[in-house]
Amino acid sequence: MSRRDTPHWFPRLLVHLVAYALAFTMLVPFGWMVLTSLKTRSGAIAVPLRWFPEGWPWQWQWGNYLEAWKVAELGRFYLNSIIVAVAITVLAGAHNALAGFAFCKLRFAGKRVTFALLMATMMLPYQVYFIFAYVLCTWIGYIDSYQALIVPFLASAFGIFYMRQAVVSVPDSLLDAGRMDGMTDFELFWYIVLPAVRPAVAALAIFTFMFGWNNFFWPLIVIDTSDHVTLPLAVQALATGLYVDSWPVQMAAATIITVPILVVFLIFQRRFVEGITLTGVKG
Amino acid sequence: MPRRQNLNGWWFVAFPLAIIFVFTALPTVAGVLLSFFEWDGGWVEGHWPRFIGLQNYREAFAHSGFWPSVRNTLIFALATVPITTLTAFLLAVAVNARWFVGRTVIRTVFFLPTVVSIVAIGFIWRWVLEPTDVGLLNHTLGGLVNTASGLVGGRHVDVTWPDWVGNTPWALATLIAVQVWRGLGFSIVLYLAALGGVPRSHYDAAAVDGAGPWQAIWRITWPGVWPMTVFLLITGMIGGLQVFDLVLVMVGRIQQDYTDVINLFLYREFTRNRLGFAAALGVIVLVLTALVTLAQMLWLRRRGEATA
Repeated sequence: MSRRDTPHWFPRLLVHLVAYALAFTMLVPFGWMVLTSLKTRSGAIAVPLRWFPEGWPWQWQWGNYLEAWKVAELGRFYLNSIIVAVAITVLAGAHNALAGFAFCKLRFAGKRVTFALLMATMMLPYQVYFIFAYVLCTWIGYIDSYQALIVPFLASAFGIFYMRQAVVSVPDSLLDAGRMDGMTDFELFWYIVLPAVRPAVAALAIFTFMFGWNNFFWPLIVIDTSDHVTLPLAVQALATGLYVDSWPVQMAAATIITVPILVVFLIFQRRFVEGITLTGVKG
Repeated sequence: MPRRQNLNGWWFVAFPLAIIFVFTALPTVAGVLLSFFEWDGGWVEGHWPRFIGLQNYREAFAHSGFWPSVRNTLIFALATVPITTLTAFLLAVAVNARWFVGRTVIRTVFFLPTVVSIVAIGFIWRWVLEPTDVGLLNHTLGGLVNTASGLVGGRHVDVTWPDWVGNTPWALATLIAVQVWRGLGFSIVLYLAALGGVPRSHYDAAAVDGAGPWQAIWRITWPGVWPMTVFLLITGMIGGLQVFDLVLVMVGRIQQDYTDVINLFLYREFTRNRLGFAAALGVIVLVLTALVTLAQMLWLRRRGEATA
């Protein structure tokens, strides 16, 4: 490879400048959130505006976090969010993996038609079906319960599709060998397929966790009282209540819900990016 | 194969399918039917669903808030999707170049908004866009204007910036901008994956033909990642037509002619227990989505053949 396709230093510099300037503007809102969360109420709305809170870091308003935590009762709702996100991740992960495996490697009557119909449901906008799904939840007594937040997400068409794509890479000869040894279908899944598709399972788990953690619309619909409120709803309540004018407390709350998911993302980043790339196979 | 084998697979798929049937497929059918009824969700005497034919649809089309919400939804989708896709493509190409320093950093930074809760995003942006000089955006813009004015020897200028999320055409532009900010990372990551699949030899051939880097991008790279572009345009459009939570957290649930979108309209009607009317709006979203997707597929296929 010659230097022919490496452009002159000036366009290269320009491309870097533009890319990094854009990246900077991507970050500014997050930085502003954190800086504001450490200001006093009046300091946040002082004109002319200042970037940093007054004083040294140990004099900053760390108490805003405590206040946000207390007024929005985040401790309790953190637990709700964790229960819901973890339950969905584990259970949906298992169901989607099993179904994806079956749709890919098992033969059964009606498989093709069922799978085609399943894929069709992915195209449906949730606005068409959430209304009657809500009605169903009222009928079976799910309103205001963990069940309402968990049960509808115990499997997903996308998850099944995703696992099916991953299982394709497992050679049929391996499964046939297992069958010769008298393995049941479940044993094939457990001992041969699962170890081979661990990265995909991990990626899907991360997606599902983030979805569960950030899910906003459905909890908004099925949770009426505060017992089973999840974090996004609890924090959103700050936008309208007593703290509507207290930007530092609101920013502290926003930081509190953002940090865990950022940590999860940064730890699993490679898995995550690889996972997204896998979904792109569809394109 | 013994006959028994032919049903064994159902053990694996029965429960997941049941969940999706009960909470997605069945409610979709019920939703379509519901759109022909008037119903407040009650299941006792006096609250049964009442068949009213096309009345919900007639009411929707005649409603003063309906057409603005359709217009805004369409503008939102038609603006965000091409802007996001094209910007993401160019950034992915830049970052993918062998001479680019810090690919992972850039990718991570652009991806951050994708993983953050929409509620946090609403808080952050409402604060950045706060009217008066308290808002970071107004402050920055004011600084830029005055620096520029200072450079040409002008006086200090006080610009009155629009209320970015108020009831002005600016608000829709704001929502579009925030959505682009939010969606870029996802498209960049997908494009980076697709770029890996464009054979190097094509570039070498182009270089031999004397094509510069800019020409190579449009003659080799763009057609090379065309399937990904189609995927992003179609799924982006479907997602764009479903826009809801962004508007809810940025503007609130109020009706404003310049910011209302169909799904917010639908949500308000739903919370007023007008389930049949809400269902009719849902069906309209469904039909709109199907039409736009179909039109796009036909158009993209023609374009794809022209490019290939």
